Amino acid sequence: MMRKKITTSILFLCMFVVTSFAQDVKDSLLDKVKDKAKEKLNVSGTMGVTYEGYGLCRSPSGWTGYQPRRPWNQVRFNFTPNFKFGKNFSLPFNFNFAAIPTNFAGPYAGIKKQNFGQFITNPLNSFGINPKYKWAELQLGTQYLKYSDLSTGDIGIFGIGVDLRPKTFLFKFFTGISQQGINYIAGPPTVTGAYKRRNWMAQIGTEKEGKYLFALNFAKGKDVPASASPAPITVRPQEGVVISLVSEVYADKGFYFKGEGAQSTFTKDLATPLSPVLKSLKPFMEAHTSTLTDYAGQLGVGKKSKNFDIGVMIKYLGAGFQTIGYPFLQSDKLDYTLNTRINAWKNKMNIVASAGRRVNNVNNTVLKANQFIGNLNWFTQFSDKFSLNVNYNNFGFQTASGFNPYGIKNVSNDLGINPTFTFTGKKIIHLLSMSYNYSKYDERDVLTGLTTSNNTHTALLTYVPTYLEKDISPDFSILYFYNNVPGAKITLATLSTALSMQAAKKKLRLRGQLQYTLGKLNSFSNSNNLIASCNIDFKLTKKLNWNTFLTTNYFKYGNEIIPNGANYVETTCRTGFQYRFDTKKAK
Amino acid sequence: MKKIISTAIAVLIVATGMAQVKFNLIVNAQPPAQLSEWGNRREVLTLIVTGQGAAGNQYKIKTEIKLLDGTVIGSADLAKTPAFTLNSTGTTILVANDVMPLEFMVFTGKYRTSLERTGKLPADNYTICVQPVNIIDYGPLGESICKNFYLATTQLPILMKPYNEEVIDSKKAQTAIIFRWTPVVPRPTSPVTYRIQVFEVLPTQNPVQALRSNQPLLDKEIQGATQFIWQPQLPFLPYDNETKKLPTFIWTIQSLDIDHNPVTRTDGNGEGRSEPLIFFVNPDKNKKPGKGN
Repeated sequence: MMRKKITTSILFLCMFVVTSFAQDVKDSLLDKVKDKAKEKLNVSGTMGVTYEGYGLCRSPSGWTGYQPRRPWNQVRFNFTPNFKFGKNFSLPFNFNFAAIPTNFAGPYAGIKKQNFGQFITNPLNSFGINPKYKWAELQLGTQYLKYSDLSTGDIGIFGIGVDLRPKTFLFKFFTGISQQGINYIAGPPTVTGAYKRRNWMAQIGTEKEGKYLFALNFAKGKDVPASASPAPITVRPQEGVVISLVSEVYADKGFYFKGEGAQSTFTKDLATPLSPVLKSLKPFMEAHTSTLTDYAGQLGVGKKSKNFDIGVMIKYLGAGFQTIGYPFLQSDKLDYTLNTRINAWKNKMNIVASAGRRVNNVNNTVLKANQFIGNLNWFTQFSDKFSLNVNYNNFGFQTASGFNPYGIKNVSNDLGINPTFTFTGKKIIHLLSMSYNYSKYDERDVLTGLTTSNNTHTALLTYVPTYLEKDISPDFSILYFYNNVPGAKITLATLSTALSMQAAKKKLRLRGQLQYTLGKLNSFSNSNNLIASCNIDFKLTKKLNWNTFLTTNYFKYGNEIIPNGANYVETTCRTGFQYRFDTKKAK
Repeated sequence: MKKIISTAIAVLIVATGMAQVKFNLIVNAQPPAQLSEWGNRREVLTLIVTGQGAAGNQYKIKTEIKLLDGTVIGSADLAKTPAFTLNSTGTTILVANDVMPLEFMVFTGKYRTSLERTGKLPADNYTICVQPVNIIDYGPLGESICKNFYLATTQLPILMKPYNEEVIDSKKAQTAIIFRWTPVVPRPTSPVTYRIQVFEVLPTQNPVQALRSNQPLLDKEIQGATQFIWQPQLPFLPYDNETKKLPTFIWTIQSLDIDHNPVTRTDGNGEGRSEPLIFFVNPDKNKKPGKGN
């Protein structure tokens, strides 16, 4: 089956190249005939096909200590033309799909053979068409629609909808399926399974771009309990509705205000009995004993200007706030951050900083956790020859002890200093960049109260000569990495070099890279790693590009693992053709 | 008068017939914080009922949730809870849905509010007491049995480093990338396995789409520790002048219990996966992540 798919794909790839050449010839012959038509019709966009191959050879034979990390074979297709008819009508396509499913997380994890419905709704694939006439857009197929930060935005839905914007009014509606039912398979390999999920969303409001936005959002998702057989064991059929009110105002002199308030009603398990005690959200959903109703809100105010930004952001998510549109959202937190950006000294100094605090346990259902988050990045161009970048990051996390003798306390601190020197000669510019990073991570043991420190030092030296009269640009670097934690010391030393050049009247761009890393864990023997890679970008015609990326990676462990002398060779090949078309430019 | 006498006789008969109902209650010391999840897991609560009365006689279960000081915060509405019939073999095994049917449990004050909003009770030590009662006037048919348990929501790790949208120099990233996260809170009695996954975000994908559809470049299980040093062994693609995108990655942690199941199935995505973060690898220091990223 897979071989058949690959053969078909390669055949398609060959046909694609031939067709693309033919298309070029055909284009030129028909150009004159179509001149008049082109005045009204313009087509622009890309289409392409990419093949990815992966190989892994492990030694000694039978050793499985290193697992493959890419699909053995994959073919990806993209087709994204935009047909424009006159001034007012456009018909953009967005087709991106792959031959072989490779899902590891989420509802499709583990699926190998997918039916047509699953193929269409698999997040690996997108099939979207968005015909638009003036202010009215029809949305067909796969759409990743973001209505707001608290309602929906992270999931792709296959369905139908509209986006209407007459004058300053705003009306959006979309309905479809975000996942098909997938039967549970005990395996191996295990397929967790999923329920078919139907989605509905709507937005109504008013908007003037760059001035204001006021909108009411509605998003609902509901699983179909009978859509998987055998039903998933660890996944429950769910239903959720979010209603939110979002507003944005941009005033003069760069002042802005953004706010959103939301209420979610979410049933964690549709198999639980209906509850007369809990409030239902009729007519949208009925309350079960696992139904929660909670709130979330965010507020941001600030000022933006050319050389100075400042803003405050507050975000609250109740412990029971859950939305189907953001499946990985972690609730129960209150964040407040202060952000600033300063440009000074005639734009030669740039400072970006933020400081904030996150508090969990807003609803007291978890152990209290406090986090301090601080970031600073300070760049200064002292002269044409010398610049300095300093950055500092802090992340602290602390909880109450609960039933352990001590609470959790983890603090991560990172400091980086990066001076860069540039010397300009007649034929060459020399760039020398140094970088030192110190990273400290303290972790308290909840049983003994003892804190372990984990210290990491990284030093990097990079030299980049730029030849003013030649089409080659090499670079060289050396890196030292040292990590020290009680019981383990890791040392890594890396030498790397790369060379970029152009050839064949600049139609061919080449880039090669070689990297060697020597590693050491405690007193074990050294590990060795050699990586070679090559990029070849070939402009076959004005519109057709052939891009190839080849890598090979050899890694030999020290005697820290059994069997001694274990090693592997990984190879990756990514090659593809991209055809760009724009009838306006061609003309 | 006749009615009162006949009711009194009926009560006496029921009471005499069911005088020896005995409960044996087994409760997990740290059950799931989400009360509706108790019914999905048989190991959370088991009530073994033995009776020496005539088979076929009925009883109800008077269930109360208390604080350690004895304050009752929730109790079963006996008018609505189902009646059970004594098994002819003498032993009946009941589970959480029978003993504590949430649709008929009445909670008080802040506990009710917390349950409505979060499905959980505030983190604390609690006692659950069960007692067999007759179905007519709910008079006791046996001793009240109580068991203590501790409730606190399992809080999934929060990802610390690389922080969200961090831009890492490709020269450093090619040698090692440090990942850090906070531990599962409260720390479970058995060690947690943290499964770290890193996914490449292709230029045509959005980050969560990549997480849900691609094979991870890193998929490693780490027991107990909250830091991992990854040697990617990847030559990162140069800056793409066409798409103006830097090589982008999304990472997350899946927290697994000793049986290799997600530590919590009721919160968020149900997979025990923490909210993912993205980071960029910058092959050219002069390029910043563009709008395309």
